Amino acid sequence: MNRNQIIDNYNNTLHLLGRVTLVLASILLISVPFIVSIVNGVQPSLSGFINGLIKVGMIYIPMSIVEFLIYTPMLGVGGAYLSFLTGNVTNMKIPVVMNSKEIAQTESGTIEHEIISTISVAVSAMVTTLVIVAGVLMIVPLQPVLQNEALLPAFNNVVPALFGALGLKYFVKSPKIAIIPLLVMSLLCIFVPSMISQTSVLLIPSGALALGIGFILFKKNLL
Amino acid sequence: MNQYLNAVNAPVFYLIVAGVLTFITIMCVLFLIKSYKTGLQIGMDEKVLKKTIVSSAMFTLLPSISILLGVIALSGTLGVPFSWLRLSVIGSLQYELNVAEIAAQSAGLSGLSLNELTVEAFVTIALVMTFGILGGIMCCIFFLKGYSKKLQTKPKQENSESKPNFGAHATTAMFVGLCAAFIGSYIGKCFPQGGSDYMPLLVALAAAAVMGVFEYLINKKNMNALENFSLAASMLAAMAFAVIVNML
Repeated sequence: MNRNQIIDNYNNTLHLLGRVTLVLASILLISVPFIVSIVNGVQPSLSGFINGLIKVGMIYIPMSIVEFLIYTPMLGVGGAYLSFLTGNVTNMKIPVVMNSKEIAQTESGTIEHEIISTISVAVSAMVTTLVIVAGVLMIVPLQPVLQNEALLPAFNNVVPALFGALGLKYFVKSPKIAIIPLLVMSLLCIFVPSMISQTSVLLIPSGALALGIGFILFKKNLL
Repeated sequence: MNQYLNAVNAPVFYLIVAGVLTFITIMCVLFLIKSYKTGLQIGMDEKVLKKTIVSSAMFTLLPSISILLGVIALSGTLGVPFSWLRLSVIGSLQYELNVAEIAAQSAGLSGLSLNELTVEAFVTIALVMTFGILGGIMCCIFFLKGYSKKLQTKPKQENSESKPNFGAHATTAMFVGLCAAFIGSYIGKCFPQGGSDYMPLLVALAAAAVMGVFEYLINKKNMNALENFSLAASMLAAMAFAVIVNML
């Protein structure tokens, strides 16, 4: 086989392997909640599921498309199939690929880069899995401690902890975008208290407002 | 509460998650072998391929520990097996928690609160989290082949890093919007008509303060290794703060 045939064969194999395994992995992932449902003899709330999915979809489907378009050129074919399945794309897979690209001195868009990025992402995903397995084995004996009543406030406030930390990071990064949505959402929740329990609904206008402000600032070269 | 936690931490659930993750690991091994062999076939230096493997493994260790801290943070409400699964595939801590909160409210709860969670609500939340994250996978299944062909004909367009478009800012803006909605609701809760509940805002401020220290050390003192831990460590510190405040 000459070089072109090897490259064609490699690309075709990755696409076939990638598509088949992603379809199978999706089926496996979807089956997990259903198995829990069957094992425990409970039914999920259909209206809750549809409501939740619409809200999540409005935020995350456009985000998924943007991430797919932006990150795929950096990840390559094999890297993209593996990264979008194993997650932690921005905080782990992209830096790993960039690091390997530096080490191997490969040029983006070449077969060498494809190979290096696929190897990097595959190794990274396996190492993460192993580290988390080791961690989970250590967490399991700690279950009685983690389920202690005294720790209840910690786990009941895990979402405020996330958004406090993320808020600082993103507000400092983009104060011009942040100020108006933060002010509007705060005033809305102060003067219309019923909105406090509807944060999942508020996310949509708040996200749209931030996107709109961001777009205007971008167009005016103010970002 | 204990009944719920026992159900979501059932041994059978660990086995199911282990099965799914084994499948995904096998997939990674197949990609790795195919790429390694092709690399050798086209004449790449075996030393470079081996070095890539070692450096990728080393590079991943620290961020992986940070993901593990995320599993601990998430496990208190969603149980260890599901948190283990969710943070091993597709998502990230911020996605999982945000979607879990949206799904919990859609399932009729006030939020992701242990006091209110039931197995029924958990299954609904798990379904929303699973289906909601499939966007990237669907893009790969249906569009990656065509998109990669376009990229191969114009490889130089890859440099979106050096010439950012609004796509890069859009994700940041979307996260700013998400954070604004949540922080706004915590501010609203502090007022009498919102229930005078100061705890969420205090916890958010504590997390922000710790994150501020991390940002200072990363950006001003060039301690870049801390980047991997800043989010999970800020969250865990703020969660510990919630326990202390509750004791006062």
